[in-house]
Amino acid sequence: MIDVRDVSRVYHRGADEVHALEHVSLFIERGRFVALMGPSGSGKSTLLNLIAGLDRPSGGVVEVAGQRLGDLGEDELARFRARHVGFVFQFFNLIPVLDARGNVELPLLLTKLGRAERRARADTALRVVGLAERADHKPSELSGGEQQRVAIARAIVTDPEIVVADEPTGDLDAKNAVEILALLRDLAREFGKTVVMVTHDPRGEAFVDEIHHLDKGVLRDTVAGGAGGGGA
Amino acid sequence: MALPLRYPLGNLLARRLRTALTIAVIALVVVATTLFGSLVSSLKRTLVSTGDERNLIVLRKGATNDGSSVLPLEAYQTVRFFDGIARDENGDPLASPELVVQPFFRTADGGRENVLVRGVEAAAFRVHREVRIVEGRAFRPSSGEAIVGRGVAGRYIGARVGDVLDFGRGHWKVVGMFESEGSSFESEVWVDVRELAADAKRSIPYSGLRVRAADGADMDALARRIDADPRWSLEATPEPEYYAKQAESANALYFIVVGLALLAGVGATFGATNTLYAAVQSRRAEIGTLRALGFSRGAILLSFLVESLVIALGGFAVGAVAAAALGRFVSWLLGGIAFGAATFTTSVIQLRVAPGDLLAALAMALVIGLAGGLAPAARAAKLRPIEALRRA
Ligand SMILES: Nc1ncnc2c1ncn2[C@@H]1O[C@H](COP(=O)(O)OP(=O)(O)OP(=O)(O)O)[C@@H](O)[C@H]1O
Ligand SMILES: [Mg+2]
Repeated sequence: MIDVRDVSRVYHRGADEVHALEHVSLFIERGRFVALMGPSGSGKSTLLNLIAGLDRPSGGVVEVAGQRLGDLGEDELARFRARHVGFVFQFFNLIPVLDARGNVELPLLLTKLGRAERRARADTALRVVGLAERADHKPSELSGGEQQRVAIARAIVTDPEIVVADEPTGDLDAKNAVEILALLRDLAREFGKTVVMVTHDPRGEAFVDEIHHLDKGVLRDTVAGGAGGGGA
Repeated sequence: MALPLRYPLGNLLARRLRTALTIAVIALVVVATTLFGSLVSSLKRTLVSTGDERNLIVLRKGATNDGSSVLPLEAYQTVRFFDGIARDENGDPLASPELVVQPFFRTADGGRENVLVRGVEAAAFRVHREVRIVEGRAFRPSSGEAIVGRGVAGRYIGARVGDVLDFGRGHWKVVGMFESEGSSFESEVWVDVRELAADAKRSIPYSGLRVRAADGADMDALARRIDADPRWSLEATPEPEYYAKQAESANALYFIVVGLALLAGVGATFGATNTLYAAVQSRRAEIGTLRALGFSRGAILLSFLVESLVIALGGFAVGAVAAAALGRFVSWLLGGIAFGAATFTTSVIQLRVAPGDLLAALAMALVIGLAGGLAPAARAAKLRPIEALRRA
């Protein structure tokens, strides 16, 4: 599903070069729940962005859902993301002026679905995350945990193969963090999504199938997570 | 695929105060543009609507208006019997000899303005068909009486029916008020031509002559014959042409107004730009999110342009309503707006906001919205998603 081969990413900051990733190779099978871990600045987000088609590598090949992302232009990448990737962010990133349903419906506007169908799917996604009855609420009327669940509903509403999550529990308390982790795990277990999560949260280890440790832009090792999917 | 309209609209509502302020600035520009524009177009309309296409105005060659012309008595006596001039039921030619003087009148608020006083004979009312007495009666010759146009009646001291008007050497009793379908005669005072000549100590009693062409007569031929007469060097012009030329003096004013409107428009454009740059800045993460979800640069661009255009349309709506109300109020308050015309007399204009003036203001508002929104919208569209999503 996700095939990262010998990938590097160099950022240019003025005259300086930052080697955020160096010769990283990584293969993730369909339906796995995977964590990327490592110290701050180790390149976790950079790798996640490459997998999600938000960024292009400086070297190497990123192949996701059968497409080589390095070959795609800006608008082709946008289409790739709309079709294949669901996003979950640390700070939820819901659109404040839209209610929960409006937020969840947003990615469906990029499909050919009609109005009624969009609405039905949005409501289904909200039901999956347990927030069907909050569909009319604005993000400001929801708790952090609820907002993140709406964000997850938004991430899965188009039925993408891949869900990426950058520190999804970073802004949540313990109880909500565990709920979100369980929800992400269920996306992989029950819906067959490939879920890639960047996290600092040690609680996450218990939920994932495999953990890839990054350090200074290099992939150090891969270990099985507590969910014990028997990866590495 | 575009973002739903709800998105830009919701954002405008979310920052109500800023939106309202920007709308207010654009509304002010719209008010100014509309009112000044309609002032100028009202003036032009007044002048252009004056005159009858079957009438010729006969002046001394080279005179640009009837205030600067003199017409010898013999010329009048000859020309009025030319073929092609209409006659009344008594067989008298429809030829109106007229004398124009431009004394100062005092306005109710203490100002002094030149007003056109036209000395006429009874024939004037048959040549200038649009002139109708709407209050009181016509003046009687040689009895020190005057009638006033509607624009004059409201504006000057002593100019209402029943008042006594002081100008020249005499005191004139105002016995009637007339209208002329909004044309510039309404800014004039009419008196007996012989009395006016005596009062002004003019040896030649007429400045010009208006003649009405007979039905079916060739006006061009009549005009050519008047022009060609070797005894007096005269020039005959169809009235609409004459007044259109007078209206050209409004063009200079028009350019000034357009210039001022453009200046104000540029200011408002900067205001709109500023507002939208602030919006883009505060919504970086949001823009990054939308791009991550797969919305194209075009969708982001469009959404910000829509925001800007909605602000502009809001400004137009508020401004247009305010301008229409203000126009009515000003007309009611002043009984008309005074304009110094090229002849140095004052035209009293009824301010009317015409569809054309509103259309110009609408175009202006839309340009402000587009021009003001373009740079911020382009900046939003150019944001790279990973940068926009990074927390500063
Ligand atoms: N757009 C950028 N321009 C320049 N340098 C960047 C950019 N993005 C990331 N970097 C640098 O690349 C390196 C890796 O960054 P990255 O965000 O991938 O780290 P991370 O592992 O996600 O860290 P954190 O846990 O703090 O989020 C860091 O040194 C970072 O400063
Ligand atoms: Mg990171």
